[in-house]
Amino acid sequence: MTTTPPPALEVRRLTVSYGTRPVLWDVDATFPAGALSAVVGPNGAGKSTLLRAALGLLPADSGQSFVEGRPARAAMDRVAYVPQRDEVDWDFPITVREVVEMGRYRSTGWLRRVPRADRAIVDESLERVGMAGMGSRQIGALSGGQRQRVFLARALAQQAPVLVMDEPFAGVDARTEASVLELLRELRGQGHSIIVVHHDVVTVRRAFDWALLLNVRTVACGPVAQALSDERLAQAYGGVVTEPAWAA
Amino acid sequence: MGGLIDLLPLEYAESVVVIGSAIIGLCAGVLGALAVLRQRSLVGDALSHAALPGVAVAFLVTGARDAGSLLVGAAIAGLLAALAMVAVERTSRLRPDAAIGVVLSSFFSLGIVLLTFIANGDDADQAGLDTYLFGQAAGLLERDLTIMAALCVASIAVVALGFRALKTALFDGSFGAAAGLPVRALDVGMTLLLVVAVVVGVRAVGAILMVALLIAPGVAARQFAGRLALMLPLAGLLGAGIGVAGGLLANAAEVPTGPVIVLVGFAVALAAILFAPGRGVLWRARALAHARRVRRREALLVDLERAMHAGPPPSEAELVLATGRGRGELRRGLRELRRDGLLEHGERLVLTEAGAAAAHALLERRELWSAWIAHGHRLGITDAREPDPSDLTRTLTPAELERLRELSAS
Repeated sequence: MTTTPPPALEVRRLTVSYGTRPVLWDVDATFPAGALSAVVGPNGAGKSTLLRAALGLLPADSGQSFVEGRPARAAMDRVAYVPQRDEVDWDFPITVREVVEMGRYRSTGWLRRVPRADRAIVDESLERVGMAGMGSRQIGALSGGQRQRVFLARALAQQAPVLVMDEPFAGVDARTEASVLELLRELRGQGHSIIVVHHDVVTVRRAFDWALLLNVRTVACGPVAQALSDERLAQAYGGVVTEPAWAA
Repeated sequence: MGGLIDLLPLEYAESVVVIGSAIIGLCAGVLGALAVLRQRSLVGDALSHAALPGVAVAFLVTGARDAGSLLVGAAIAGLLAALAMVAVERTSRLRPDAAIGVVLSSFFSLGIVLLTFIANGDDADQAGLDTYLFGQAAGLLERDLTIMAALCVASIAVVALGFRALKTALFDGSFGAAAGLPVRALDVGMTLLLVVAVVVGVRAVGAILMVALLIAPGVAARQFAGRLALMLPLAGLLGAGIGVAGGLLANAAEVPTGPVIVLVGFAVALAAILFAPGRGVLWRARALAHARRVRRREALLVDLERAMHAGPPPSEAELVLATGRGRGELRRGLRELRRDGLLEHGERLVLTEAGAAAAHALLERRELWSAWIAHGHRLGITDAREPDPSDLTRTLTPAELERLRELSAS
């Protein structure tokens, strides 16, 4: 007998405001386990806010969120969160390896040195994102694509089943985007659930399983073909989205 | 402390100043560096200005100029100022810099009013309270040193113990919060540590200028250290050095300690900003100038090579006309090429054999780079290598280069 696993992330009636203006209004969304899911929507749709509020990083006015069926706050050890790249100071005095090691702190304890077994996990994570041998570099000397890889390696080092990434493809070169996407598919194949804020509808349609189409409220949430139908997209983007001919 | 004072080859009073300034600088260097990295340097300024009314009130309450109680007053006022800044920032729509400005100036004004009030009274004990403005290391007592050292050691121990948590919160608070770190509490903790640094130093350095000793060591240390685990100890050492040098100089010249420490700190920070290898302004300017010179020289080489194929070798004047270069720039470039044996001497510009070979190699490298831009994505390189535009052969393997040539030929 098989049972359907609970969704990787579920949000119920989530409302979030900045000041008095609601940026998310009564949002319901489900992201199935083991799927590559995208959060899509126009600028100001509340995509990043949704993820941050769902993970308890922002206070919500109302609503609940669940990770693998448990209240999100109690299940954060199951989640690896990758913030937007421009949120951090890239001139910070730190090496690539140290950033990735941060992924181990939670499980090793914040006050301890990182044990040898965990250092091996760090090496492996660097290797998987194609940065083996670059561990001793200063983060300030990296390109945008390399920085995104470092963030992904840190998330891999957390070894959490749910991976939540905020705009990992904004401002990275095509080569990085292709190899990161390939890696995400590989992770999905190994049973990870991946949720990505993505600005590029074309890529999402081509490479993702599931999508939440968001514009302050939920416009659609489901398998990509249904959630991102032309009709739905027009609804979310106010009829201004057009797909370039070469993408057909 | 007594033993340490005896060890120094100095007079008793000077030894006290040296040890005191070292402790103050160490403490301010390490804890101030955290504020610099948090981009909250000016919070330290507000906290040290806020120490002034704290000292004044403590004097009014206890009626005595006892360093211990005055510093408790400074600490309480610092905490209130920190709270006030957070409150102003969260409840009003003021930005952090404005909140800092408002809090700093109001606390400081209150301090000045209270100090004037005390000075106008007939309390004989009040003399010297105004040294808290600009600082006077000479006023330190041996028993003050013990308290200062204890505070300094305790706060640095806290930083060492919470090092990984602090590093994570400083670098990437969102990630830290998601990974279960109490980021807000750490933020408060770092502000409290800053209050400790101010309390330790304000007596000797003064409320007005304390901020310099918090910032300068961190700024200088960042220029040399690429890792937080190196930057913090280095900031502590530099801070101690700046403190001792400033304290001794001020003592010898009989001027207030604060300004002298600040001038020393400024000199150290400026030197680091200018000369630090790799990050220093001069260093980077030189690297940039070198890169520009190489590019110019390469462009000239390519032009000469093209001219050789286009007809009879050009003269200098013809090349100026043909390429639109400035005459002076061209002369410099030609002189360089001749010096390196790439160009024949003579009226007409003819590349030597070595010059032609260099030009060919260069053209080949450029072609390769063009091929990379056009076809690089088809090589299917998945790792994070960033190709070097000046020479692709350094980043790609021979097999990849071969494939790239095939792709661009087809």
